[in-house]
Amino acid sequence: MVFSSLIFLFLYLPLVLLVYYIVPRRGRNIFLFFINLVFYGWGEPMLVLLMLVSILINYAGGYFVEKFRNDKGKARISLAVTCVLDIGILGFFKYTPLIVITLNSILPLNIPVPEIALPIGISFYTFQTMSYVIDVYRDDAPVSKSLINFGTYVALFPQLIAGPIVRYKDVAYQLSHREETLEQFNKGVKLFLVGLGKKVLIANQMGAMWDAMLANTEPNGVLGNWIGIFGYTFQIYFDFSGYSDMACGLGNMLGFEFLKNFNYPYISKTVTEFWRRWHISLSTWFREYVYIPLGGNRRGVPRQIINLLIVWFCTGLWHGASYNFILWGMYYGIILIIEKFLLKNLLEKLPSAIGHIYTIFVFVFGWVIFYFEDMGKMGEFIAGLFDFSQGIISHQAAVVACRYAVITVAAVIASTPLMASLYKKLMDKRFMWILETAFCVIILLTATAATVNQSYNPFLYFRF
Amino acid sequence: MKRKIVLLPAAVFSVFIFIFTVMFIITPKADYSSSEKRYLEDFPETSLSSVTNGEFEKGFESYLADHFPLRNMWVGLNAYCNYCIGNNGCDGVYKCSDGWLINKPITTDNRIKTNTDTIIKFSKSAGVPVTMMTAPSTGYIMADKLPAVHDEYIDDYVFGDIKKSLKKEGIGFVDIRQKFKNSTEQLYYKTDHHWTSEGAYEAYEEVCRALGVKAANRDFYDIKTYPDFYGTTYSTSGFWLTKPDEIAVWHNKNHKPGDIKLTITEGNESKAYDTLFFDNHLKEDDKYPVFIDGNHALETITNKNVRKGRLLVIKDSFAHTLAPFLADSFRKVTLVDVRYYKNSVTDLVRQGKYDRVLVMYGIDNFATDTDLAWLK
Repeated sequence: MVFSSLIFLFLYLPLVLLVYYIVPRRGRNIFLFFINLVFYGWGEPMLVLLMLVSILINYAGGYFVEKFRNDKGKARISLAVTCVLDIGILGFFKYTPLIVITLNSILPLNIPVPEIALPIGISFYTFQTMSYVIDVYRDDAPVSKSLINFGTYVALFPQLIAGPIVRYKDVAYQLSHREETLEQFNKGVKLFLVGLGKKVLIANQMGAMWDAMLANTEPNGVLGNWIGIFGYTFQIYFDFSGYSDMACGLGNMLGFEFLKNFNYPYISKTVTEFWRRWHISLSTWFREYVYIPLGGNRRGVPRQIINLLIVWFCTGLWHGASYNFILWGMYYGIILIIEKFLLKNLLEKLPSAIGHIYTIFVFVFGWVIFYFEDMGKMGEFIAGLFDFSQGIISHQAAVVACRYAVITVAAVIASTPLMASLYKKLMDKRFMWILETAFCVIILLTATAATVNQSYNPFLYFRF
Repeated sequence: MKRKIVLLPAAVFSVFIFIFTVMFIITPKADYSSSEKRYLEDFPETSLSSVTNGEFEKGFESYLADHFPLRNMWVGLNAYCNYCIGNNGCDGVYKCSDGWLINKPITTDNRIKTNTDTIIKFSKSAGVPVTMMTAPSTGYIMADKLPAVHDEYIDDYVFGDIKKSLKKEGIGFVDIRQKFKNSTEQLYYKTDHHWTSEGAYEAYEEVCRALGVKAANRDFYDIKTYPDFYGTTYSTSGFWLTKPDEIAVWHNKNHKPGDIKLTITEGNESKAYDTLFFDNHLKEDDKYPVFIDGNHALETITNKNVRKGRLLVIKDSFAHTLAPFLADSFRKVTLVDVRYYKNSVTDLVRQGKYDRVLVMYGIDNFATDTDLAWLK
């Protein structure tokens, strides 16, 4: 189920909220646990079994790690077994086809490529469950005494299928002690609607612009191609950050507080800053559970470089089982290494405009690598970004650009903290509730209209 | 007071989602949408296997979208919102000036070459002269009504290509572009992709000239108009506030009862009628089938007032308005719709002793039709 669907908005959510607030507090986690499974199993009910297995494995892992608290060796084995199982499941369901294709191409083999449907959200919830066992091992988080509470955490529908990756230690207390308030619910509604607007009104439209550019029958021209990839750049940001906002908002409605996942990444002046602002929960995960355990920067520069490359290889691979994602990860790994060791001082001295232009170029170009799984098409598109012999902009591309001009401008503005700072200034004003309510009504009406029309509603991060 | 009122967004949101949930559950479900002119989704089959393989879930979501409370209002709101932010044509229809709704143009990756080749191949085995006519797209003819930003209507290239290919093979092509461009009458419906009776009549004059027969004079016809016609372009657009068209039916004053016979054949069944116009359809949502009862595999019109001439028309629905006129210049006119007629048309030509064949398509259909491949 996706949040921006009629079934979620007008059947699942109202019923869940209704029952959730009728049920007495101690029954709420049990209710959430079961209703999460309905959410997850909708469309592919069999996957619920896989998720239950994953919950059991990690719950048991945490239990044994705690049990052998004083026996380092056994605790370590418990941790290792759990992690291997987690990565094994993720690897089997996500990477088997890629591994087979790779083996076939480098060895004289001809293994048929298996067709394995990727379980939704597996990359997200696997990372969540791993954070639990590792944190229990490190004594950073208490072991979960209740299987229901732990299951509720893993399968919590707001962040289940597209993040943010909530670490167990950040919500352990909330799982058993949260107290829902009307203020928090209200905050959640506003955040959810901001996210819904980002997703339905901006991301979907920008995606439609990008698709229209790709579908054009004549070459778009240099400018046309740039406008197209900017469309995708906005699509992926508003899609993903909209989803995170909706997740955090829904969390609030149920009494949870999740950490912020995006912090205006597109206003960054360096690529390092970009990755501090983009998908924060993922970068944090890799830093805490891969980079630092590998030694981070404590073992000298050569080792640090290797560690960074490993982390970025994994980050790329995490995004999808295809070579272009690995390439995309390595692209960032190398740029970040260059920034760290060479460009850092220079970038600080340069006027900020140059930093912005440089960073925008890097991430937009990054999305080109991210989008095209077919290397040939990627090369063709990159050539199209610089090949002036195809003209500046074709008539078709100009028509597409004009049609989406208003939304593009809105996307540019919404990528900056401009509206948020305006909101902060007005927040204490007496009339603010009028503006807020009007804003909510507009989003509700337009987003519902767009959803009923159902023309275009993909979730990009669904496949990860 | 102030503390409570700041919670209004939460209240609005909750009430909104609850109201629509309740309305969806309790309102009776319609089978058919008259503004969208289509049947709505049925409730999906419920069984263990349909739930586990995801078919039930998929079906239920379509069902929900189709039966969502106030669906028409939402579809309209969406269309007008997109229009207001300058995204005219995002659902395939441009909202144009003076109440015109016009379909977006065909693209260059179309089936025109394939379909033209099929016609050429057919003409070689037909044994009688073949002539072709295509109706230009509405957007090409009504270019001055289009919004400032629109995709290009490529009729000039396409007509040129078809004409050239056919000419090489000695097949005639009736080019009505210029005549239509110069006309001051309303040749197309504002809310439907078809041409009006006026448009069909002007095309008829050109066909007659090309085939060397006499066209019936304009004065022979008694024109009756009927209000409130909303066509298919309207139905797909969501621009519900558009004014309806009038549909005009041209009756030949000289016809006496019994002069005209229309035989409609569907499979092995044939039915005969003594009229070309089916007034019962004027009461329905789609009024265009008033002309020879709409789409059928095979329809034959005989007119006792005309002495000779046997014409076979391979056609799409544009010919429905044209056929009554053609019947005033040929003794026998047979319409074949290859979307439904799967037997050999060559055999039909031979058995029916037709003098000639006319291929009549709207250019948009001709560019996308995949059934012509069956023509043999």
